[in-house]
Amino acid sequence: MIREDSIVVTGIGAVGAFGRGRAALAAALARGTPRVSAVDRSSGWHGERAARTALLVDPRAIEGAIPPLEARRMSPPSRFAVVAASDALADAAISVSSERDPDLAVAMATSFGPTSFTQRLVDQLLDEGPAAASPALFIECVANAPAGRVALSARAAGSNSTFVMGEAGSLFALGRAARWIASGRARVTLAGAVDEMTPLLHALLDRFRALARSERDGVERARPFDRRRDGFLAAEGATLVVLEREAAARRRGRQPIARVVGGWSAFDPTAPQSAWGHGHAGLAAALRSGLSRHGTEIDEIDLVVSGASGSRAGDRLEAGVLRRAWGERPLPPIVAPKSVTGEYGGAFIGAALLIAAGNSTMPVLDFDADEAGCGLSLHRGPPYPPPRRTLVSALSSGGAATWLLLERA
Amino acid sequence: MTSAPNARRVVVTGMGGVSPWGWGIAPLRRALAAGDCAIRSVTRFDATSFPSQIAAEVPPPPPELARSIRGWSRLSFADRYAVAAALEALRSADWPTSPELTTGVFFGSSTGGMWETERFYESWRHRCLERAPRHALATQPVDRPAEAVARAIGASGTVMTVSSACASATLAIGEALDAVRSGDVAIAIAGGADSLCRVTFGGFNALRSVDPRPCRPFRADREGLSLGEGGAALVLEPLESALARGARPLAELCGAGASADVHHMTAPDPQGRGAALALARALEDGACESARVGGINAHGTGTPLNDPAEFHAYERLFGSRAREIPVMVTKASVGHLLGAAGAIEAVATILALVEQRLQPSPGSGAIDPEIPVRLPASSASNALDAMVSINLGFGGCNGAIVLARWSGS
Amino acid sequence: MTLGDFKQFIIETLQLAGVTPEMIVDDQPLFGTGLGLDSVDAIELVVALEKRFGLKIAAHEIDRDAFSSPSAMFEFVERRLAQGGTSG
Repeated sequence: MIREDSIVVTGIGAVGAFGRGRAALAAALARGTPRVSAVDRSSGWHGERAARTALLVDPRAIEGAIPPLEARRMSPPSRFAVVAASDALADAAISVSSERDPDLAVAMATSFGPTSFTQRLVDQLLDEGPAAASPALFIECVANAPAGRVALSARAAGSNSTFVMGEAGSLFALGRAARWIASGRARVTLAGAVDEMTPLLHALLDRFRALARSERDGVERARPFDRRRDGFLAAEGATLVVLEREAAARRRGRQPIARVVGGWSAFDPTAPQSAWGHGHAGLAAALRSGLSRHGTEIDEIDLVVSGASGSRAGDRLEAGVLRRAWGERPLPPIVAPKSVTGEYGGAFIGAALLIAAGNSTMPVLDFDADEAGCGLSLHRGPPYPPPRRTLVSALSSGGAATWLLLERA
Repeated sequence: MTSAPNARRVVVTGMGGVSPWGWGIAPLRRALAAGDCAIRSVTRFDATSFPSQIAAEVPPPPPELARSIRGWSRLSFADRYAVAAALEALRSADWPTSPELTTGVFFGSSTGGMWETERFYESWRHRCLERAPRHALATQPVDRPAEAVARAIGASGTVMTVSSACASATLAIGEALDAVRSGDVAIAIAGGADSLCRVTFGGFNALRSVDPRPCRPFRADREGLSLGEGGAALVLEPLESALARGARPLAELCGAGASADVHHMTAPDPQGRGAALALARALEDGACESARVGGINAHGTGTPLNDPAEFHAYERLFGSRAREIPVMVTKASVGHLLGAAGAIEAVATILALVEQRLQPSPGSGAIDPEIPVRLPASSASNALDAMVSINLGFGGCNGAIVLARWSGS
Repeated sequence: MTLGDFKQFIIETLQLAGVTPEMIVDDQPLFGTGLGLDSVDAIELVVALEKRFGLKIAAHEIDRDAFSSPSAMFEFVERRLAQGGTSG
């Protein structure tokens, strides 16, 4: 069924540890295992027992993608975002014109902003004094540098906002982008998330005991909802997607990847700074009320793509919200792609879209249910039929929560 | 996904602010009315080796305020400005604390707890983080001020942060407007908070865009901007429910618009096309004829490039009236609050509408003949109906809002 | 230092990958044209010149003739060094 009014995703551009592009991300999901690499520990930030790996972008994956004279002043997240945006537009068969497009908008999420450039600028100020500070570094220290670079490269003269909402930001950006189009604030929007994972940031996350530490075999694994989970895998990269009206996409001959029925958010005021609260009842009520505002019964959800990352408290809260929202009814199959994509860098939304579109399945290689803590299981087969309506969920430490309702197009 | 964007009128029923004039709206109102300037020598850190050594700093908080807010000692300066401004705004709105009302928080911040992060980094940068105090490193992400507000008031709706450099708060107010219109939240706390830090002070100095003397927007001898700090918050709610609960609206928030320059990462489009588009969109969104606009709260940083770009945007929109419409330059009094600039400037604009009195521009000196805006010299009385407030940020992103006098109908 | 060395210094400072000194024309404007360099590059170069040669360059000097081309800049630096590196 074609719905003229509905907002659809027509292109995905992704840069991450999995490589570059939608197919590379899909292949990583199909493999079911993340491609981790060792984090540079030479600065001495990390403790002896700290996490050692992260999902890092291999610079070769995007080498040459941006002309060197343009790339020279860009921070790593700006590079990731510019490549992902250009790939997303190409995937949607939208060519970048030489004219400014006032109806092409950018809705970007980031959790930490360009941290490596900020750190270098602070080092300059502390070590060499103010006179040595580099203006080019400062330009890229702002959280919206990647969104600004994307606007320049895609000639996107429409609304340009960078949203920060912890781990829930990427879903929020997609929901906002859909709203902008629905309310006439934009015709096409590039929406997604970007982050870089520097050694300092990695060590800080580890200091909060947020990261998965090595198991007996020396491997660090993110185990969403699993009894053995002890943290997430930190990731970097960018995923940007193209949103537009379904009618416009079909006129261009593009088969949409998925429809965005709607997005909504809530907050758990019981959450302390940088940690998880216990307000699953309030969040479940917000989840339910969002569904009903989008004309959807909870029974109509065929699949949940959960933002559970392997965080001990975060996954427990997520499970509590889902169980409470469904109540007595059986939960639909639940998948948790952050075991492959890691946390941050946007690949989660790319994975969610591919899974909601029925284009991708995720094997769960080894799962040990946490009956006492989470009380729900990841889907391990048999293969479920392609979902019609998918709920995507992301809770953030610090209290924010966002949900996105997708429909197979 | 559909929505009727302009169905619901939204009013401002309360406001609060922390500025270099002190904690609360009252001292700010007096200083703005008198045309006083708060830009002085920096005391927060040693600024003697910087080319410019002045900024507008927020004085220490009243001790009773610090005692009345839970967890005060663990909040960053930016968090404190946000929380104090939000609580004042809610008090002045006579906020109905009902768990039935979904309250959202929409804040702009450019650097969040960067000041605290710099100090943490300075003392820990050559050491293992294993023993680093966690609370000292928890304040950096720029979504912390919004979360601190949400926690302080027990918000359960959308809690989000825009980090789009100097346009952050204006864009956040725009998102809040949409969220109230659409019924996502019953009440929105919208604003921004940023504190002075060495990254921005050093960065703007490195860019050679800081004036060694207090900034002089639109004047012929202007040499750059002056930094400030602080926070401000508005309470937004639908007109009907505000009237139903007996609240007295201060002003109507008619519309919001945004755009991107697609010109340069820091320099504004000299022709002012992006700024004009944001203004035109805000007016269109608010169904406000440009002839109704009786005053402009300019971004007015005082840099050689910003002010002409803005004047040309005004000319595009208002034609020859661009030389007649009075222009307020709040930054000449409180400095540039970066991610909070749009919030403090919205407060200044509402004060002008409520008091029917434009604020004079601090300082003296001839207006740049190339950009002949009208800066009101003394606190002149005017029949003010609608005003626009605009902010232009790094990355070329622009935001504008339209506020109108509330006359009781 | 020769003009060629100076151009190499520009290339390294501004990370002009793929650009050789021969590609930089002596007396053509360096900023706002050809190579896509802008005012931020100009300031970046000033910071590097100050650091490398111990110069002090005032903001108003950046827009002047001294920065109109690589050879003008080179002469400006030579002249300033001969004067002992202080701001003129």
